Amino acid sequence: MTSPDLLRRFLENAGNAAAGTHVVSDATGLRRVLSEIVPGTDPVFCPGLTDKEKAAAPFLPCRAADYASATATVEEVYGAIAETGSLVCVSSGGRAVQAGLLPSHHVAVVSRERIFATLDECFASFAEGPPTNITLVTGPSRTADIELTLAIGVHGPEKLDIIVF
Amino acid sequence: MSDVQTSLTFRANAARAIKDAPLRSAMRQAADTFGTKRADAFAPVADLEALRDKASAIRLQVLDRLQEYVDTFASQATKAGATVHRARDAGSAREIIAKILKDRNARTVVKGKSMVSEEIHLNAHLEKQGMEALETDLGEYIIQLVGETPSHIIVPAIHKNRQQVGRLFAEKLGVEYTEDPQALTKIARKALREKFLAADAGLSGANFAAAASGSLVLFTNEGNGRMVTTIPPLHIAILSLEKMIPSLADLPTFIRLLPRSATGQSITSYVSVITGTRKPGEATGAKELHIVLLDNGRAEILSGECREILKCIRCGACMNVCPVYRTVGGHSYGWTYPGPMGIVLTTLLTGMAQSHPLVDATTLCGACVEVCPVRIPLVDLFLKLRERRVREGFSKPMEKQGMRVFGKAAASPSLFSAGQFLSRTFWPLVRAFGGKDVAGRLPRPAKVPFHRRVP
Amino acid sequence: MRVQLFATCLVDSFFPEVGESMLKLFRRFGVTAAFPKKQTCCGQPAFNAGYADDARVAAAHFLSVFDGDDPIVTPSGSCAAMVKHHYPDLFRGDPKMRAKAESMAGRIFELSQFLVRVLHAQESGMAGKGTITYHSSCHLTRDLGVRDEPLILLQSMKEVRFVPMPDASRCCGFGGMFMAKLPEISCALAEEKADSIVATGADTVTGCDAGCLMNIADAMKKRGNPVQVKHIAQVLAEGL
Repeated sequence: MTSPDLLRRFLENAGNAAAGTHVVSDATGLRRVLSEIVPGTDPVFCPGLTDKEKAAAPFLPCRAADYASATATVEEVYGAIAETGSLVCVSSGGRAVQAGLLPSHHVAVVSRERIFATLDECFASFAEGPPTNITLVTGPSRTADIELTLAIGVHGPEKLDIIVF
Repeated sequence: MSDVQTSLTFRANAARAIKDAPLRSAMRQAADTFGTKRADAFAPVADLEALRDKASAIRLQVLDRLQEYVDTFASQATKAGATVHRARDAGSAREIIAKILKDRNARTVVKGKSMVSEEIHLNAHLEKQGMEALETDLGEYIIQLVGETPSHIIVPAIHKNRQQVGRLFAEKLGVEYTEDPQALTKIARKALREKFLAADAGLSGANFAAAASGSLVLFTNEGNGRMVTTIPPLHIAILSLEKMIPSLADLPTFIRLLPRSATGQSITSYVSVITGTRKPGEATGAKELHIVLLDNGRAEILSGECREILKCIRCGACMNVCPVYRTVGGHSYGWTYPGPMGIVLTTLLTGMAQSHPLVDATTLCGACVEVCPVRIPLVDLFLKLRERRVREGFSKPMEKQGMRVFGKAAASPSLFSAGQFLSRTFWPLVRAFGGKDVAGRLPRPAKVPFHRRVP
Repeated sequence: MRVQLFATCLVDSFFPEVGESMLKLFRRFGVTAAFPKKQTCCGQPAFNAGYADDARVAAAHFLSVFDGDDPIVTPSGSCAAMVKHHYPDLFRGDPKMRAKAESMAGRIFELSQFLVRVLHAQESGMAGKGTITYHSSCHLTRDLGVRDEPLILLQSMKEVRFVPMPDASRCCGFGGMFMAKLPEISCALAEEKADSIVATGADTVTGCDAGCLMNIADAMKKRGNPVQVKHIAQVLAEGL
């Protein structure tokens, strides 16, 4: 069970990495947050594979058939890491990790009990053998290649929102 | 500009760079920014010294049993669906990669940042075969548009200011001039997005390779690394042998150290762990993955007295603190890897005959040793390389004679005194002979040296 | 207490007044300083240039000249580091000499280190004058780990206003033979150091290594700046 301290640390670190953070405890909360952060006219990709994705899907007025044509992706991810404020995205279960890469807005739903305290705990969970792709995502895509000035949104998402559910 | 600069012309390269005002100010700003950011990033890390010890120990363990780790990696990666190639040198690595592409009729390759691909001059080779190799890291993209090489291993275009990039984009991409980094970034995003989607192949390096699972690990910020490894049907990764770590359980240590040392981030935006190819029923991963393991002189380094340089994780912290690097910039070093780690790697990989002036490119100040996350004893390595230069006969004959005389005089107080007397007496001559750059900067020796003043 | 004084070749040839200041300091603190007359150079120029054999000749001479058990005190962080860290290495193939080098490593001190750690000079109420800034030389700071001692001394001096230098431990560009081999870079670094010194507004800059101070003095002279460049031995001795 995720302690309040662990959740607080995760949210703080994710926020420091320029991710938007939201905490909801039921479908009503989820609907409220989604309506605030995803414009109703944007085509949104939602795989609808997990219970939480199934809960989110009806609240998305404009659904995209695939991530390539979407401007946003709403998906539940494998987990998160409090130490770094990272999301853990994986390719297992038929999931396309690119869904959280191509659209300019990535909305990740994290189950409260899937927050690892440390990087070590996260990687220990793959001890049996890692899936084809594990990507730790911390904040939106960024660069400082021009005069070391931070610019957000290079090739990946320009905006990252995390909803702890 | 960079083609005429070699490691052999280091002094001239440096002298020219010193007069380049925009370069100097860009380097200074970058070094200062990195210095502060690095310090801030490590401030909350509880036991940094223990973390460095741990990282160093893991890297040494890898070097001690490198062949074993490489073999395990190769067999595990193969099991996961990858094809593993071993390349002895740059030429064979280029051939292997070109053949993979040619056999599949691949014409366009999108590239993630890879210093090893710079080391083997891959782009030029692919272009000669009529293929397009497009750099997609923003800094590399800028450098490729200008036709230069990276001057920093983490921030390749560190020597370019925003006005230069603005003019470049306006000229080469036909966009309206802007010097706003955010706007310039958007322009690159747009220009490259379609390239990612249409490319026949993606080519990447790797920051680490986890032997036990056969996984490649990439640290990136922009997302281009993720693109080139997941979007095209074919992914080719090239990495040098020493990138091994025993297993993914060792990765957290390096996640804690590498980004903080490199850019002052507590973690990069993305850390990707890629294990083999797309499995049946999966929606992620290349259909075909080829991993090229490059030796190109590493095995020889491993058996020599400078083997600890192979612990290097390419964070660039040593260059950011190096007083020489910050003054002369990366191109002055004349080869792929600049700065303190570059001095060592360049002399070892290209040979003393091609690079001996580089071993002088350090004041031995030790600032690099202070920040190296894996505790490479860089100053000791510089000293070993200087000894080696003498052994291999690349030191100046006059210096050699001079040192022999020095040694003799140091062991003979009367000879030493005589030397002092002569240099004082003939100081005007020494000055004229030694030039204003050297003797002109020294005061005249005292009339009565201290040893004759002691009661 | 008795010590052996190693002046270093730079102080002996170019800056004898630094040696004289040391003698004055030793007298003030009741230390009997012996000056082994046969001393020359620690061998660092040869060692740093890759001539281990020639450096070994110098080192062997040094080991024989500074025999005994008395502490050896030197006005140079760089030379102290050479003796402490590189002598044992130079004789790794010779157990007898190596043992000698290792025992010497335990009794060689850089001046400020000796004044603070052994003599507790900072508690003696030394005085001085003016505004002083300090350059933290590389080998002193990083090889010997002497970071605080000079600051402790300077800050203990009555009537002295101490102003820290920005990037005090960044190399001044001296680097021994480096200044001769790559003079363009050496001068550029010295200029940057001069900028830092001027930024402090101090009237005196001090340090613990004559080589660096010589390089800094040249940079200050070139820009016609009146800042005085003094070895820490001089700064301390002047107030006695």
